[in-house]
Amino acid sequence: MRIKTLLILFCLVLPQISLADGPPKSLNSPEGVSAISPGSELWRAVRQRDGEVLEGVSQVKSVDSGMLINARGDQWARFRISKLTTYGGIAIAAVFVIVILLYVVRGKIPIEGGLSGRMVRRFTDYERIVHWTLAIVFLFLTITGLILLLGKPLLIPLFGKEVFSVFASASKEGHNLFGPLFLVSLIMIFLSFARRNIYEKGDLTWLLKGGGIIGDGHVSGGFFNMGEKTWYWMVILIGFAIAISGLILVSPVFGQGRWIMELSHVIHTIGALILITVSIGHMYLGSIGSEGAMEGMKSGYVDINWADAHHDRWGKKCHDENLIISAEEYARLQGRKPDDTAELATEQGK
Amino acid sequence: MARMKFYCDAERCIECNACVTACKNEHEIPWGVNRRRVVTIKDGEQGERSLSVACMHCSDAPCAVVCPVDCFYTTGDGIVLHDKDICIGCGYCFYACPFGAPQFPKDAAFASRGKMDKCTFCAGGPEEDHSSDEYKKYGRNRLSEGKLPLCAEMCSTKALLAGDADVIADIYRKRVVNRGASAFNWGGSEIKG
Repeated sequence: MRIKTLLILFCLVLPQISLADGPPKSLNSPEGVSAISPGSELWRAVRQRDGEVLEGVSQVKSVDSGMLINARGDQWARFRISKLTTYGGIAIAAVFVIVILLYVVRGKIPIEGGLSGRMVRRFTDYERIVHWTLAIVFLFLTITGLILLLGKPLLIPLFGKEVFSVFASASKEGHNLFGPLFLVSLIMIFLSFARRNIYEKGDLTWLLKGGGIIGDGHVSGGFFNMGEKTWYWMVILIGFAIAISGLILVSPVFGQGRWIMELSHVIHTIGALILITVSIGHMYLGSIGSEGAMEGMKSGYVDINWADAHHDRWGKKCHDENLIISAEEYARLQGRKPDDTAELATEQGK
Repeated sequence: MARMKFYCDAERCIECNACVTACKNEHEIPWGVNRRRVVTIKDGEQGERSLSVACMHCSDAPCAVVCPVDCFYTTGDGIVLHDKDICIGCGYCFYACPFGAPQFPKDAAFASRGKMDKCTFCAGGPEEDHSSDEYKKYGRNRLSEGKLPLCAEMCSTKALLAGDADVIADIYRKRVVNRGASAFNWGGSEIKG
């Protein structure tokens, strides 16, 4: 009986002894056991702790179905909520404040010597259609996009979830449906205006003088000035980035994974926020910020005094080539608009 | 109040996909949507492991964080549910979810997403319990009948457990203790001299 008990005790102690002797460290050492569980290594890889992706397989065949943990999803979600929404909203509000302050301080920038009534052709009908197509599509996508981005913190407290869901659903469908039109009008804008927006001599001077916003007097400019050209290339470059990332987002049927979608979403939103904020400045300068500027996109004609003041190099060309039409002729054209006169007057811009 | 949890034991799951099938059948989930799936890692290699995964009903759910229309809510039992009447089908929850749980029916025009569908822990939705609306949108509400999610209920190896967190944790702890010898052989990091 006693021998039996001793034997059992010996058997219980045996594994301890063998472990205690085993290299490299004993179980009783202060460092403890250093061996790593193979299970922990596997789950560490599954959770992408080291940044590497361990893809599995699944009988469910859908996008990313073999990936057990998408480690970046939460980072993306929190980036959208804490950074994109917050700073995007602040940026748009800040630009509105700046524009209002600019209007209060500077007011509408008048044309020196007032309007002469003598006009010069600036844009063809086609160019104006292209401009306003892009403008309308852009405004529509801005409003629907901002409802989706800022609606949760700003509109849900006002209208409640049920009502906001209707807005948001319409915004999503409208944004997705008319989004591709942005790419079409962007290509049209590129083809119509690219040549006149190539940077040239004198543009740097314009930039160094701050475009005339600070201080008095106008800065020399061609058909488009440095600021307009920069805005144009921002629209083209950022616009194409928005359009391509938007097309990736709008069609989740090509098997693109979540990381591509998250990246596209971030590019799409940051690009859109840049264009939205700058477009507010563009809209201000094209309307209430500068006297006579709206005429060019409204009727296609601008006052020659406006041209001399804002685009002196182009204005001089109009004088030289005798492209100025009288107030009576302009009125007649506005009533009838024969194409031959319009064609003749447009050539100067090209 | 219970805090509901899923737990899948990777040492027991045999990748039979019965949980996936049971779920699809119980809730009559449309074609192309799978609320639950089994993922096998290192398939055919040494150390192969399978896990059944669905919505894990997170405490601070990334889907609820990112949802632009705020359609998610957490029940008193800690189950994350969503309101399909509010969901607009943007897909953001799918990008945010660590587990790939949100699913989208592809029946709308121009490849547009339909309303999101995901595991409800067999707890239905915001509609009245056992109403036909609830069944159509969210599937069976087993929890209100005092039953647990079907996937776990019929798991043949009891790899997939569902229920109150305390009970689940207790079952798993007992399993770990029983596997102590093998853990010892691994030289598990928990064992300190």
